[in-house]
Amino acid sequence: MIALTQVGGNLLTNGLLVAVVALAHVQIAAFLIGASTLMIVSESVSLARRDRDPRHDRLAHGLIKSSLFVFSFGAALAIFFVLFVLSGVWGRFFVDLSRITFWSFFLEAITFFGEVVLIYTLYANWDRLDNHRLGRIGLLVLLNIMQFLQFFWIDVVASYMLTPNGGELNFLNQVLNPTNLPLSLHRVVGNVAWAGAAVALVAGFRYLRATRRLERTSRLSGGAPALSVGAMAAGNAGAEPPEAAQARYWDWAGQWGAIWAIGLSLLQPFLGYSYAKEIQLHAYPSWYSMMFGDLSNVFLVQITLLGLIFVAGALYFWRRMKEAGAQHHRLQGIVAIGLILVTAFAALPAWFAPTYADAVAAAGNKPFWEGGLLNPFAYFIPYKVGALFALMTLGLWSLTSYLRAYSRGQLRPGLVGRRTQFTLLTLGVAVSVMMMVMGVIREHARQPYLINGELTINQQQITNNSASPVGGTSR
Amino acid sequence: MKASERNRTRVGRPVQRRLKATYSWFDERTGATELLHKGLYEAVPSRGSWAYTLGSATLVLILLQVFTGIFLLLDFTPSVESDWNSLDYLRTSDPFGNWVRGLHLWGAYTLILVIGLHMMRTFLSASYKRPRELNWISGAVLFFLVLGLAITGAMLPWDQAGYWTTVVVTNIVHYFPLIGDGLRQLWRGGDFVGPLTLTRTFAIHVWVLPFLLLTFIGAHIYLLRRHGEFGAWINYDTVSDNPDREIGERVRHAEPPYPTRRIERRYAAPRKTDDFFPNQLFKDTVVSLGLVLIIFVMGLLSGAPLDAPADSATLSYVPTPEWFFLPLDQFLVLTPHNPLIAVGVFLIVGGGALAMLLLPFLDRSRDRRPTRRPEVLVPVMLVVFIVIFMAVLGVNRLYSLSP
Repeated sequence: MIALTQVGGNLLTNGLLVAVVALAHVQIAAFLIGASTLMIVSESVSLARRDRDPRHDRLAHGLIKSSLFVFSFGAALAIFFVLFVLSGVWGRFFVDLSRITFWSFFLEAITFFGEVVLIYTLYANWDRLDNHRLGRIGLLVLLNIMQFLQFFWIDVVASYMLTPNGGELNFLNQVLNPTNLPLSLHRVVGNVAWAGAAVALVAGFRYLRATRRLERTSRLSGGAPALSVGAMAAGNAGAEPPEAAQARYWDWAGQWGAIWAIGLSLLQPFLGYSYAKEIQLHAYPSWYSMMFGDLSNVFLVQITLLGLIFVAGALYFWRRMKEAGAQHHRLQGIVAIGLILVTAFAALPAWFAPTYADAVAAAGNKPFWEGGLLNPFAYFIPYKVGALFALMTLGLWSLTSYLRAYSRGQLRPGLVGRRTQFTLLTLGVAVSVMMMVMGVIREHARQPYLINGELTINQQQITNNSASPVGGTSR
Repeated sequence: MKASERNRTRVGRPVQRRLKATYSWFDERTGATELLHKGLYEAVPSRGSWAYTLGSATLVLILLQVFTGIFLLLDFTPSVESDWNSLDYLRTSDPFGNWVRGLHLWGAYTLILVIGLHMMRTFLSASYKRPRELNWISGAVLFFLVLGLAITGAMLPWDQAGYWTTVVVTNIVHYFPLIGDGLRQLWRGGDFVGPLTLTRTFAIHVWVLPFLLLTFIGAHIYLLRRHGEFGAWINYDTVSDNPDREIGERVRHAEPPYPTRRIERRYAAPRKTDDFFPNQLFKDTVVSLGLVLIIFVMGLLSGAPLDAPADSATLSYVPTPEWFFLPLDQFLVLTPHNPLIAVGVFLIVGGGALAMLLLPFLDRSRDRRPTRRPEVLVPVMLVVFIVIFMAVLGVNRLYSLSP
């Protein structure tokens, strides 16, 4: 008989392994889902326009190509994740979880068949479907539905792990889990925002590469180095080099991605707040940990990253509007400064000391204006809620102001300096890091449990102890 | 001709003559023919005409509410002692009682949905711009009045749901800055919900709000006939190489009520119009009848619920709002227990309602295509998304496990 033995490695290395693989897995999955939504939008816009707008068609085609490569790599990673990491390292937990949430896993697995068929069909027949655009959109809609169902079912599992609400629930109660719907909607919006940010990130790189080549070509031919593609194109009217057309396209694609990333990120504070509220109502210790405990500092990083997204967006819009001499570009700059100030305010820590004990030892539980180390302006309610509201309002003004200028023909793709593209790179990186930090917060919020209040991480032992606030400061 | 037919004609002719003479007498005094002609043969933009049926459908549904409301009044007794019993009698002893209540309930649900769609259509087509600003404002007031009727209607059955809805709703008004406490006391007729609250809510539901509703409907229809249906931007696109000349021709040959006065020349007259009768009237009838049919079926199948009689001493009852107030209710759930935030939320909701009312003066853009009006389109879409999201969350909360 084979003896039962403990799995090798320790909690730290095993936890780290799960974290790294799971975060990569989530980034890939989120991109795939968001990208297929953007493809539908691009294809629909292209179909609706009289000139069929080849830029949208090219973007959608590019997205299906990248989706295929990302999907293939992601599938391999997912197999590694399930087979070696979850089954190998956290076997007992995974078996228990699979047993409890069997139907969710089963329904999720079924959607993969549909996804595989649809992604490969679209990739292989994209050009053939040129004359059947409605059919192509129909397939994309099916792909989107398939992917939505996929992450909905896995969200049922994820929300069950955070708010199991009293142990082994039946399938219906797992679906109706109070945190399931807020999490799913938070992710629907987040996925598309991430895909938009990824498009902006790639487009920023490609723009920089195209303009670098263009400048090199220009220097070799003895021409003066140009600051922008627009200036170059204007100087060489009628004989535009291919790199200029490339740069113009990537500039447009970067802008398109940024608009989606910023526009949908505007909803996220509200959706996130709603999600946090449900966690507060149904898993108070986890919420406490995020807002006041060990994770509160990580949460500050999260709020800072959210602010950074809006700041990067506003700076990008401001520079583009300024370069084109669009209306309200000065106000856009002021809004960017406002966003920086609000972000700084939102990122204020509750204590001007590393720990609560330090704070008490140094100055007691007093606000800083009484000589203490306590900062009441960092309280989540009402000050941080107010800061989030301000971020949303300023971000909304920034976006609509830019779209207003765009719709009135005050901006043209291509007329942009290289430095402007760095704001897109910042935006893309910030969204990516933010997703990872959010994952870390959500997973750690139920520590030391894998299934909140039910199954501990330590040796995966099942306990009957009720949950209690986890570490950190208290107020 | 057979003898019997000859006899019929002989009898028929004087009757027809007399009827004609009676109508002439009536027409001479009222101008009914002219009015009817004007009403039926006015031009409406031909493209997108199915979307214009939502306004008339709203009117039909309001009339349905009035009729079913009158029938309910025949049995309903608005007093704390006999309110619930009268509704219970309707449900159990009156052969059509539960059906009529169902019609009233489902009519209200459908009305709110249709009026919302009508407003969304008007917003997307920018029909609220000059000179139709007052059309929008009167329409927005009608929307608020319908919501007011819906919520006061939900309070009237003195069952558990009605009673606790009354407690919650009358409590919300106290968040109104400065005069909130006074308003709550005025509505409740004291500090607590009681007989006076029911009487006052009944008066508001049956007299005050319907009077205002019918007044504003009159104003809304008058303004619609004055300026004509705007339709949407697609009706004003030019197709020739000489747009100015095409628009000039269009304005010169426009049928009443076009060309619209005090508007940009290109939006003064649509490219192609149809007579209201029979084209538009047919579509209006199809949509309205379809909706009424759905309401009849729903009323018949599900009727209207009636909880246990109101009991102010109960502690276990969890009040659930009507679906159309779920977003607002969810907003209150999300609101932290902090007076500053509570007032802030009230101001946000009140400010949003005010912004909706004053939309024609906030949107100063000249273009009417939605894509050319991102400064209003994006914020409104954001708000619509949040409202839908909160409604979904509210439903989820009702059906998910209680904390």
